[in-house]
Amino acid sequence: MDKNDTTTYSVQLYIYDLSRGMARNLSPIMLGKQLDGIWHSAIVVYGEEFYFGGVGISSCSPGGTMLGSPDTVVELGNTEVTEEIFMDYLSSLGENTYRGDKYRLFEHNCNTFTNELAQFLTGRKIPSYITDLPSEVLSTPFGQILRPILDSIHIAPPGGNIINGRHS
Amino acid sequence: MADNGGADPVNNNNNTTVALEGTIIKVTVKTPKDKEEIAISEDASVTQFKEEISRRFKAKQDQLVLIFAGKILKDGDSLNQHGIKDGLTVHLVIKTAHKAGDGASSSSSGTTQVGSSSGNSSGPSSAAHPSTVGSTGGPASAPPQTPNLLTGFGGLSSLSSMGMGSANFMELQQQMQSQLMSNPEMLSQIMENPLVQNMMSNPDLMRQMIVANPQMQQLMERNPEISHMLNNPELMRQTMELARNPAMMQEMMRNQDRALSNLESIPGGYNALRRMYTDIQEPMFSAARDQFGNNPFSALGGNSDGGVQPSRTENREPLPNPWGSTNPSEGGGGTGTTGSSTTGSTTPSVSNPLGVNSASLGNGMFSSPGMQSLMQQISENPQLMQNMLSAPYMRSIMQSLAQNPDMASQNPASSPSAGENPAQQLMMQQMLQMFAGGNSSSQTPEVQFQQQLEQLGAMGFINREANLQALIATGGDVNAAIERLLGSQPS
Repeated sequence: MDKNDTTTYSVQLYIYDLSRGMARNLSPIMLGKQLDGIWHSAIVVYGEEFYFGGVGISSCSPGGTMLGSPDTVVELGNTEVTEEIFMDYLSSLGENTYRGDKYRLFEHNCNTFTNELAQFLTGRKIPSYITDLPSEVLSTPFGQILRPILDSIHIAPPGGNIINGRHS
Repeated sequence: MADNGGADPVNNNNNTTVALEGTIIKVTVKTPKDKEEIAISEDASVTQFKEEISRRFKAKQDQLVLIFAGKILKDGDSLNQHGIKDGLTVHLVIKTAHKAGDGASSSSSGTTQVGSSSGNSSGPSSAAHPSTVGSTGGPASAPPQTPNLLTGFGGLSSLSSMGMGSANFMELQQQMQSQLMSNPEMLSQIMENPLVQNMMSNPDLMRQMIVANPQMQQLMERNPEISHMLNNPELMRQTMELARNPAMMQEMMRNQDRALSNLESIPGGYNALRRMYTDIQEPMFSAARDQFGNNPFSALGGNSDGGVQPSRTENREPLPNPWGSTNPSEGGGGTGTTGSSTTGSTTPSVSNPLGVNSASLGNGMFSSPGMQSLMQQISENPQLMQNMLSAPYMRSIMQSLAQNPDMASQNPASSPSAGENPAQQLMMQQMLQMFAGGNSSSQTPEVQFQQQLEQLGAMGFINREANLQALIATGGDVNAAIERLLGSQPS
């Protein structure tokens, strides 16, 4: 709706496969079901990439983490939210539900964060195959067995800068 | 008060003077911190909505920013206009006091400054704020506010607003790195460039570059052997030769792998291997990865110590098959390696967990020869994996592995100082046979070792029980079993 001359910013979802293709090949054998990848995602908006990891919310230039270029880019649409409001929002999140120590590989991970951001910015959710991944893995016996080990893993792709909570 | 159609008690607060004709809808308002359900009339305006929200969230109306479906709700709009219906969620951001109003101008100039460095649409965002003083106006007032906003960018932008100094260089490096990692051919192209070759043939320069990396420096402090290696020009030259020539590199890697597997056979060698990995290879991998992106140097550097040892070990046939059923000690070592590799990859360790994790996916776990041949066999025979996983004791092993990774690394079946309980050995035995593609595992050891038992009996070892135990322990090797028996009974 172009009632005013509001600028919109495009919002994209960058999806990475942490296993670099290995999940696609090995998952039928190891888990008994086909998983096309171990998905890590990030939101790209205002020319920056934002993601959540074991160290908290981080940002970098798009495709600038060790993971390199994303496997898939999904256009989530446009948002009117300005950068200022967004950073406020992010700082708030980073103080509470998305602190580094709140990271949980299965329940509260990078994709949870991305999903929330996507809904905030555009009202849309991210593709369900990403958010369904933990439950897919946990529904296999192998996943259940490895769960205690996996729970202690914090994914934190290096190459970004950590966004701290607001100062006072 | 309750003269609205379908009003609920909550609505008492919402007794605005405007006639409420529409039905009441419940809208969830979500902040980063929490969320509340607010009941409001369907036809209400955004202003009315904000009034209600400011009451509930104890914030001033002009601090509230409401967002729905990516759009900012302006006071003049109505909820209907934006399609806000019952049960939907609206996002709320509460601006902090010093940002609202007056803060908008300085932070938008701060934004513009950043916009100039990231070079995109943040510039025009200043147009969205009606209270903007001027697009680049007031840089003098910016500094007190900028730390707040720009810390949000993690400091990178603040560096660039100071004049495009190191920020760009870091970005450049990052980009180069990410490109390198995604395009291995680029690496070989770079290698062929004569300039690069010149540089590489100068070991001093290479050494300087490597040493300049702070992580490398840390590593060197911890492991003086590494600096020793770096200082050896001969080694450096060789390393660079290898980097230039991928075929030679592969050959070298294979040699290394073989050497490593040789290590497993000596008593205590397995422990040395593990120590080597965790002390040297892991940090080197992480450090090198950060700088060079999967630098082949690191693998060589880390293993150069290991490379020295094989001369002391016995020579065995090339490409040993740790899962061969004739050699349970190897197989046990392989299993043990699995255990330790799992251990190594899960300690939330040195630098970055992701580094370690992909190392375990790509290198640490899979590069151990035992694991490699296992994976080969598995990919050839999926049934094998099924067998492996469906075994009940496998599950209990995995569980105990999960609970106590240390136990796994101390507990390979190959430990020469046996004395383990026979039940455990039996279990390892059967597991190994299963790995080897065994349909034969369904037989009891007694049946399996029938022939060997007869042999032992013929030689005069009449204690069948002891024979069986010995055979189990040695995996059917009659000679070794005899040794065991002779060791335990003086007759």
